[in-house]
Amino acid sequence: MNRPSGVGGWLQLILPWLLLSALLLLPVGHPSDNVIRLLFLTAVWTTTSLGWNLLGGMAGQASFGFAVFFGLGAYTTALLMQYGHSPYFGFIGGAAIAMLASFFIGLPTFRLRGPYFVIATIGVTEAVRVIMNNLEITGGASGYRIIEDKPFNPLEHYYTAIAAVALAVLVSTIIANSKFGLALRAIKQDQDAAADLGVNPYTSKLWIHAIAAGLTGIAGGIYARRAAFFYPGDVFAFQTGISILLMPVIGGIGTVWGPVLGGIVFVIVEEQISVKFPNFHLLIYGSLLIIIILLEPDGLLGLLRRLFRLFRSKRDSGSSEADQVFWRRSGA
Amino acid sequence: MDAAEYLDLLLKALLLAGVYAAMAVGMTVVYGVMKIVNLAHAGFLMLGAYFALELFQHFHIDPIFGAVLALPVFFLFGMAVHWLLVRWLPKSDTPTLASLLLMFGFWLVLQNIGYAAWGNEDQSILTPLTLSSVHIGETISISKVNLVVFAAAVFCMIVLQIVFHRSWFGRSMRALIQNPYAAQIVGVDDQRTSRMTFGLGTAFAGFAGALLGMLYSFAPDFGTRPPFLLRSFVIIVLGGLESVSGVALGAVVLAILETFSTMIPFPWYWHGWKWHYLPPSYQTVVPFALLVVVLVIMPKGLAGLFNRKWKAA
Repeated sequence: MNRPSGVGGWLQLILPWLLLSALLLLPVGHPSDNVIRLLFLTAVWTTTSLGWNLLGGMAGQASFGFAVFFGLGAYTTALLMQYGHSPYFGFIGGAAIAMLASFFIGLPTFRLRGPYFVIATIGVTEAVRVIMNNLEITGGASGYRIIEDKPFNPLEHYYTAIAAVALAVLVSTIIANSKFGLALRAIKQDQDAAADLGVNPYTSKLWIHAIAAGLTGIAGGIYARRAAFFYPGDVFAFQTGISILLMPVIGGIGTVWGPVLGGIVFVIVEEQISVKFPNFHLLIYGSLLIIIILLEPDGLLGLLRRLFRLFRSKRDSGSSEADQVFWRRSGA
Repeated sequence: MDAAEYLDLLLKALLLAGVYAAMAVGMTVVYGVMKIVNLAHAGFLMLGAYFALELFQHFHIDPIFGAVLALPVFFLFGMAVHWLLVRWLPKSDTPTLASLLLMFGFWLVLQNIGYAAWGNEDQSILTPLTLSSVHIGETISISKVNLVVFAAAVFCMIVLQIVFHRSWFGRSMRALIQNPYAAQIVGVDDQRTSRMTFGLGTAFAGFAGALLGMLYSFAPDFGTRPPFLLRSFVIIVLGGLESVSGVALGAVVLAILETFSTMIPFPWYWHGWKWHYLPPSYQTVVPFALLVVVLVIMPKGLAGLFNRKWKAA
């Protein structure tokens, strides 16, 4: 890790810890159940968003098929709990199955590049949904119910979700600052050039796909345990895969904090704005996507960054070195 | 099953292939010229179906004429969409994620407009043709609406093929598909041709949507719920992504495979590896599985496979 320099650098180092302690201490203030529920959902979706971003943002391999991992995490956790295992073992099992699935999907499809890979992931996710709709051991299309002996404890669910999102941020930060992260960025920019410099694009993609799938599988398990009832048309839906992809794009692709920002915005839009305008949530997502793609491809984080630069350049013309270090370290 | 029943199914598959080809051809020209994977295609199909429905309900225009009327209307609509959104995308030789997401966002907007305008219940276009059929012999019976739709689709494909090979616009499109840089050097107006191509692709989507609306029921999520968007992908990938004749070939292959998929026995694990037929509920997996297999084994499509053989020979 580089030593922090300047106000920006220190802020960058301290802010995540402040955020984490605030989230951990929040239940002391007895917030309403709805606040806890919203934060729980934000944490779960942000975990998937960070997972997608590892593959889609850092390595540049956009996938429409992350619903597969989310759903597999949910079903594996549920089945393991059904056979009397602890839910935490279930989450790990969900991650393991999702990672295994990611290899099965990645081995053939990573031979394809760019759009062909994207189209293939659409095919995979739809095929898996149809199969899960017809599979008898999971109840088919009518869904699966988790029955727990213990009373419902929203705080336990909340803390598991916070732990998952903290893990996702940690993994993302480590990868962003590692040699492996550099290799991924090289693949994103020019796969052939990266291969010439000694990076194996195929295995690198497979590994980052597995890590991303694992995080998404954990999130699926946590979501399923709280929801207690789910069905393939929900967790395996094409729409779920789309949501997972929208969050990092909204927040800022390829960065560590962009997907977090995207997850927060997503839950606000989904739970607050969509409730007020129930007939227009597709319109909201669609226009948001169009505006971001055409005007600010770096997402909300890019917009914030641009505003910050504008503010800085007014105060002292030209950006200082500390300022540049601040943004470089934030993973762009 | 006797031979007549197989013939009946084969005829139905071929009739289906005609509509499939009309459905996928718009996507293929847009991909070829602009290298955009047009996810909004499903939205245009949906609007086409509702366009025919509205004309039929309010002005009693036969949906076949509605489909033909959709061609100019959607041509202008597509040009407007290109002018408003698509032309701002950065240019690239290969499809970019930005273009994919932009078209996806636009699809969401179209879907929402559909819900706002027509609600979420399933609609269908019922004409006197819908329930009448032609009988040949004892087993073969073909719905008249299928025949009419097939004829319209094939007619428009032929017109497109003529435009593609005999007009200046078609020639510039083909030039841009083959080599965009060389095309611009010899004086092809890139922007204008792209705009007209997008209009053409949208026009065919609207036309095919109206035809599909005569055969299937539809709601604003048309394109995913019978998965016509993915079927279009399968067809254009089978066809090698860039040629009109490839699309016809891909459509025939997909239609035949879908129709006969429940008759091919597989050794199933849960039947103790005994040979069993594919259960009908799994029939919708066929296009998706085919898509992945085709992409992995022959990314240049069927035509690419043939070309390679011919070159080797």
